[in-house]
Amino acid sequence: MRRRLALAAVLLAGACSAGPAPSEVVPRSVAAPQPAGASTVTAAPGSAANPEPGCDATASLRPGPLPPAGQMPAGSTMEKILQRGRLIAGVDQNSYLMGFRNSFTGEIEGFDVDVARQIAKALFGDESKVQFRVVTSAERIPMLRSGAVDVVVRTMTINCDRLRDVDFSQVYYEAGQRVLVRRDSGITGVEDLADRSVCSASGSTSLGNVVDRAKTTVSVPNWTDCLVMLQQGQVDAISTDDTILAGLAAQDPYTEVVGARFTEEPYGVGIPKGQEDLVRFVNGVLERMRADGTWRGTYDRWLGRLGPAPAPPAGRYRD
Amino acid sequence: MVIDSQPRQALVRRVTGLARSTPGRLGLLVVVLVVASVASGLLSTWSVNRQELALQELATRSEPLAHAAQEVYRALQDADATAASAFLAGGLEPRELRERYEADIAQAQAALSVATASSPDLTATLSAQLPVYTGLVETARTNNRQGFPVGAAYLREASGLMRTQLLPAARELYRSETDRVARAQDDAEFPLVPVLVAAAFVLALVAAQRYLTRITNRLLNVGLLVATGAALLSLLWVTTVSVLVMNDVSDSRTASSKADVLAQARIATLTARGEETLTLVARGSGQAYEKNFVEVSGRLRELLEQAGRLDPSQAVASATENFRQWQQVHQRIREADDAGRYAEAVGLIGNPHFDSLDRDLVRAIGEARQDFSDEVAVARASLAGTVVGVLVLAVIGAAGAAMGLWQRLKEYR
Repeated sequence: MRRRLALAAVLLAGACSAGPAPSEVVPRSVAAPQPAGASTVTAAPGSAANPEPGCDATASLRPGPLPPAGQMPAGSTMEKILQRGRLIAGVDQNSYLMGFRNSFTGEIEGFDVDVARQIAKALFGDESKVQFRVVTSAERIPMLRSGAVDVVVRTMTINCDRLRDVDFSQVYYEAGQRVLVRRDSGITGVEDLADRSVCSASGSTSLGNVVDRAKTTVSVPNWTDCLVMLQQGQVDAISTDDTILAGLAAQDPYTEVVGARFTEEPYGVGIPKGQEDLVRFVNGVLERMRADGTWRGTYDRWLGRLGPAPAPPAGRYRD
Repeated sequence: MVIDSQPRQALVRRVTGLARSTPGRLGLLVVVLVVASVASGLLSTWSVNRQELALQELATRSEPLAHAAQEVYRALQDADATAASAFLAGGLEPRELRERYEADIAQAQAALSVATASSPDLTATLSAQLPVYTGLVETARTNNRQGFPVGAAYLREASGLMRTQLLPAARELYRSETDRVARAQDDAEFPLVPVLVAAAFVLALVAAQRYLTRITNRLLNVGLLVATGAALLSLLWVTTVSVLVMNDVSDSRTASSKADVLAQARIATLTARGEETLTLVARGSGQAYEKNFVEVSGRLRELLEQAGRLDPSQAVASATENFRQWQQVHQRIREADDAGRYAEAVGLIGNPHFDSLDRDLVRAIGEARQDFSDEVAVARASLAGTVVGVLVLAVIGAAGAAMGLWQRLKEYR
């Protein structure tokens, strides 16, 4: 009996003695990649601390009669563009419906792009005489200031802050900021973002409008980078103008635009500071687009899925 | 200590007692010479064996691994450039670009599995991130096929992952494997100590002969003569073979550094191609890519000049010429793109100079690797039989010394 007990003790000890720990395979998971240039933002970058008193951002310069295509007044900005042989327009290739690359033809298309083509048509009588330069939201003002582009037509909100650096045409589209979320997210508007993360493009007005309303805000170079982050589950929402959101929602049926507009975003054509002749010329082109139905046709072509075309914004002038 | 000192003192007394008598001295000499012969033989054998192992490591492991690591790097770089090109083409991606991308991924995966066996730590990032990369590219492709611009965003993310994680890891792996080649080449160095020991043994045999002549008045001892001959032959054999191997290894160093320069040139070629393509994909906002292109092209020019100095072969000359023409076409691409003639710029990117340059470099790398392989094979051939030969000579030396001295020792009985 005693011997048997001793044997049991030995067996038990054997069972308890530690062999080498079973090997583990590392890593168990891989950190998900993020779009290049993604970063977390805590405060609105360079938001207007003291808007100039009496600034009426959307009042532009009254256009005169449009000169015939190909015959611009001597010494004017338009004549210089005419002599170059093409208009250089800063546009987007990442905002579906507004300015995007058609992946079948490789051409850049969209509502903004058509506006740029109308300006080229008024200058040259040929809407193809335009060179598109892709600019990110943050590059718009630097590109205008350096003269790298003649105009920027890229969902650019007119505001007093920007008017210090560049000039704007009259309003050619009235957008407003909303929120894009996954259909099952339970978010119903901007109010629900307080404990959520949101994505916005760097250098956009949208970023400044949302940074204080969300728990965390991520900024990326392009709007489609936001959709990548939403699809990868790295942010809960995207907040920007309804036009851009409609384009993003069209690329992912699992998303929806929610809530009411919580800002007004009047789009204007960005023009280098001080080129008043070009501002008046572009305003003339926009007047003509409204008058001859081109504006409505362009809206129906690109933004028809947002609903029937509203009345185009009326021209407002400060002189 | 006190207890131990008794037998030790006894031993010392016995040995010194032996050394005092001539037969005792002769007996000691036999033991010393036999031990020295075997020891010197074993030392030489060990050094030759070490060289043989180093050469074997070079031929069958280090160089193939270095090539596998280079292949990982090249295939990844090419996959990234090809994915961007396929996007640029617009519409459905061209079949040959898709096939090239798939071949790159398959090659990267195959080369990675070869490299993983030797450097599991260095390949961990690559193994973990490569499927993530291909997943992103497929997502980009699916979206692109539906005409969604978010496809381009996925492609940018994939390219960012490639540039920030995969390519640096591949570069580190390649560096580590080429260092391994250099270390294996160092291991095949000249066996100075064994050669000195063997020479000292020959001198010891000559001294023993002279000692015998003095005490026996006989000019030559046949046994010792045979031993001296065997030791001398062994010394000459090891020295000659080592000099030959050193020479071949030095030539193999030239060949492997040539292959390294050419491999770097090939990777620079693919990098520059990627930057050139991405500049056009960015449509006017690609200044950063163009800056990289100029930088990488400068490096590529230097590498090609270096390769030309190391190896003035036809393949390298042709590569240099194709590089020059490619740079000229690049100028035209930039001019067309900057002047708003985008379609013309995209058309020009399909020029044959890049592909010709890549083909030339593949040919030159193949030649350099063949040179390397030849040199190592010649070195290994010259070592053949040395181990056995040196061991046999050591036994002959020991036996000769023992027999020669035994005859003299018998005379004292």
